[in-house]
Amino acid sequence: MAAHNLGTELDLSWISKVQVNHPAVLRRAQQVQARRTVKKEWQAAWLLKAVTFIDLTTLSGDDTSSNVQRLCYKAKYPIREDLLKALNMHDKDITTAAVCVYPARVCDAVRALKAAGCNIPVASVATGFPAGQTHLKTRLEEIRLAVEDGASEIDVVINRSLVLTGQWEALYDEIRQFRKACGEAHLKTILATGELGSLTNVYKASMIAMMAGSDFIKTSTGKETVNATFPVAIVMLRAIRDFFWKTGNKIGFKPAGGIRSAKDALAWLSLIKEELGDEWLKPELFRIGASTLLSDIERQIYHHVTGRYAAYHDLPMS
Amino acid sequence: MAAATRTAPRAREIFTTLEYGPAPESHACALAWLDTQDRHLGHYVNGKWLKPEHRNSVPCQDPITGENLASCLQAQAEDVAAAVEAARTALENWSTLPGARRAQHLTRLAKMIQKHQRLLWTLESLVTGRAVREVRDRDVPLAQQLLQYHAVQAHTQEEALAGWEPMGVIGLIVPPTFSFLEMMWRICPALAVGCTVVVLVPPASPAPLLLAQLAGELGSFPGILNVISGPTSLGPVLASQPGVQKVAFCGAVEGGLRLLIQESVWDETMTRLQARMGRLRVGRGLDGAVDMGARGAAARDLAQRYVREAQSQGAQVFQAGDVPSDSPFYPPTLISDLPPASPCAQTEVPWPLVVASPFRTAKEALAVANGTPRGGSASVWSERLGQALELGYGLRMGIVWINAHGLRDPAVPTGGCKESGSSWHGGPDGLYEYLQPSGTPARQPSLSENLNYDTFGLAVPSTLPAGPETGPSPAPPYGLFVGGRFQAPGARSSRPIQDSHGNLHGYVAEGGAKDIRGAVEAAHQAAPGWVGQSPGARAALLGALAAALERRESALAARLERHGVELKVAKAEVELSVRRLRAWGARAQAQGHTLQVAELRGPVLRLREPLGVLAIVCPDEWPLLAFVSLLAPALAHGNTVVLVPSGTCPIPALEVCQDVATLLPAGLVNVVTGDRDHLTRCMALHQDVQALWYFGSVQGSQFVEWASAGNLKPVWVNRGLPRAWDQDAEGAGPELGLRAAQTKALWLPMGD
Repeated sequence: MAAHNLGTELDLSWISKVQVNHPAVLRRAQQVQARRTVKKEWQAAWLLKAVTFIDLTTLSGDDTSSNVQRLCYKAKYPIREDLLKALNMHDKDITTAAVCVYPARVCDAVRALKAAGCNIPVASVATGFPAGQTHLKTRLEEIRLAVEDGASEIDVVINRSLVLTGQWEALYDEIRQFRKACGEAHLKTILATGELGSLTNVYKASMIAMMAGSDFIKTSTGKETVNATFPVAIVMLRAIRDFFWKTGNKIGFKPAGGIRSAKDALAWLSLIKEELGDEWLKPELFRIGASTLLSDIERQIYHHVTGRYAAYHDLPMS
Repeated sequence: MAAATRTAPRAREIFTTLEYGPAPESHACALAWLDTQDRHLGHYVNGKWLKPEHRNSVPCQDPITGENLASCLQAQAEDVAAAVEAARTALENWSTLPGARRAQHLTRLAKMIQKHQRLLWTLESLVTGRAVREVRDRDVPLAQQLLQYHAVQAHTQEEALAGWEPMGVIGLIVPPTFSFLEMMWRICPALAVGCTVVVLVPPASPAPLLLAQLAGELGSFPGILNVISGPTSLGPVLASQPGVQKVAFCGAVEGGLRLLIQESVWDETMTRLQARMGRLRVGRGLDGAVDMGARGAAARDLAQRYVREAQSQGAQVFQAGDVPSDSPFYPPTLISDLPPASPCAQTEVPWPLVVASPFRTAKEALAVANGTPRGGSASVWSERLGQALELGYGLRMGIVWINAHGLRDPAVPTGGCKESGSSWHGGPDGLYEYLQPSGTPARQPSLSENLNYDTFGLAVPSTLPAGPETGPSPAPPYGLFVGGRFQAPGARSSRPIQDSHGNLHGYVAEGGAKDIRGAVEAAHQAAPGWVGQSPGARAALLGALAAALERRESALAARLERHGVELKVAKAEVELSVRRLRAWGARAQAQGHTLQVAELRGPVLRLREPLGVLAIVCPDEWPLLAFVSLLAPALAHGNTVVLVPSGTCPIPALEVCQDVATLLPAGLVNVVTGDRDHLTRCMALHQDVQALWYFGSVQGSQFVEWASAGNLKPVWVNRGLPRAWDQDAEGAGPELGLRAAQTKALWLPMGD
């Protein structure tokens, strides 16, 4: 993975004057979905590419080592071998980008991936996921323990109360400390946009998170009532672009929550392509947090290759 | 397990590049439909295809490939006559149906379009080269919504539009580049209120023909929608057909744009704009993943010429996007640094060009935006709502979108002002375009060939002293009432006014071109102050004027009596005039309203705005009542006025001016007496008169209509027909209120 984002000094002038034009964002969100489509080989290739962006995720109370192991195996072999062969893609080593689990399951995931003989990174959520309503001390400790267990990416949630009360310096400081606690691990900062109140807050929080050294900014935990939506994504992507124009640093983007169909995945890819350009279309800079998306992609690939729709039992479960 | 049966050789490559591929939309059904006509399209008249022999035909080509799709017959005068005849026959039944039946029919047509929507959108995109997405996702659904909305209007017509009747056969002329949707905006209200339509489409436009066929295949009421294709030169033929009550013109599809950017954000906006333009994809219209199609070689040449010229005049040109290099594609183009005085800056910007220029303050932006003869639509982009609203209210445009662009809805009136035309479609305003007050006599299509436009009202016959001034004192007021006081006329001559016995009643000033110019100037100066008044304040002033008239009742009645009006009737005329002033003051309080539009978060404000400087030529009859009946609605709606009072009896109007002088702001009302034809000529040819009402002779009406084409000011003429000014329907009906103001739709999407 690319080098870390070292962040910048806190510069509140970058956010103080910003006012997001809500109706305009909604309109752009509508357009960008309707104006791009890919068909045939293009669709198949794009879908395979989408697989490589997936943070294959399980974040349930009933996760155990067995279903985490199954998940890891699916991460290594996301698409049936014969389908890849038919597309002449079997030698491209297509795996998902990462496996994403709760801190307590990091050990299971690391072990399972090792057994499968691959170096897919393990991402762990942390800092009191999903609400973040625990003491800073325990939140930091949680990061350190996950890193110790072998997680190389940490998905932290921000303290929403700091955003809602406009305490941007405090937010910057907290994320700075998360960054430090991560050490060598990558910091992916979840903004939980569904709980930030307005798109202007989304922009400001994005900017603060990037200034504080996040390698990725991520839309949501998947546990809020509103998850990854296009309008929110456009605001975050514009913040990433502005940060890039100001500092030259490319920050990654990860939508998560509610992305279930292959069609959705294609729309997200074209959104990134339109808003940030092709340079962002690589796992170092773009991830999709999803659990069920992969099986729909596999079904579509199956259909592309065979001309038939797959039966439930035709594709291995994850 | 199914075996792998198909392979994708390119997948590997695409996996690396992640490029977009072609996403062709099949147009097989459009071709199949053309095949049903043997690739030979005629006209669709009276529910049948009409393919007369011995006509020229023009090819209908794919604008991208140049491939011949079909040949289209060119209509001749007799084909136009046949179409109008069919519409006239259909009108007899259609216009007398209960609104509910018409509603049912329009709903059926909406469903018919729904059933054949793929055919419609592929055909339109194939022939015009426009992006299929635009037609499929916007035009086709909107066409259905238009029919459904107007079906509802037809349903409630008897109740909501009592006192109005359909005009009759409507002729519709559409320009060479247009969308079938523009046609729908006009035919839906026309059909809904009970009119029938003949549309003259430019050659090689199959989509309107398809729509006519869909309407025809509903079976009942063939002939309500007839489409003939032919050159625009057939327009006058269509207009002069007996029975054609109105001819409407369609707007063209959106052209290029002018963009005004505040200097403080100029650099950043341009950077972002250019970045965004770089992502635009241009390609065949029938591709599902393009932003822009092509509009044929002619449009490309026009754009290219403009760009070259702009460059030679010193402009910066930025072009970007994923664009095929071959004709007829043309990249989206951003032009900046175009000197405002250069010839290019004055002309209309062709598609797909945007000309950007900077401004310093919102006030300046407003001046620049309003400083063009066009007044169609504009959008305002700003995060500061207060500022955006101020611009929205200040722009002289038919539609203003705040933080949005191009939104349309059947319930929102859409139109323009200045040279963008003064007709409305959509909403209630659109319905009135095709209605007339019940009992209006049919329009006589025969224009007088003998009227000489060059000499009409040019010279004023000289007037001489007309012998002994007799009659009651005090002497009538003398002079032109301009800028709040009585002034001597520029020509320094007067005309005698005789009473009903042929005796001299008095002299009035002989006004001329310079006096009209002065009056219009005074009216313009008074306009900002009067527009800024609240309707309540205006009503109060009209009330004060009414009270003054009441006090003057006996004097006014005496003046009228000298002109042969029985004293009792004269008194009634004064009383009615007083009532009119009060009534309009009250009515103007209820102006405009808020519309709620489906799928839009936020309101649309329907504003009723003053026309500006309104010139009114009053009829000879009812010298006081007609004068007041016309003045009151004009003032109540915020206009400033220049009036020519009754020619035979101008004195009561001048009497009223004595009160106007003390009660109303100077310049708000200006009254110019003199030769009516001459003054009419001066006002009609004045480019800065925003609207003109004429009540006089047939020739005068014809002249006004002809001359007003110079700035496309809205006109209202009586064609020499008398009007019952003492009846509420004609003297104070809603028609006056409609004519006295223009509509603006202000879209206000909301959200934080």
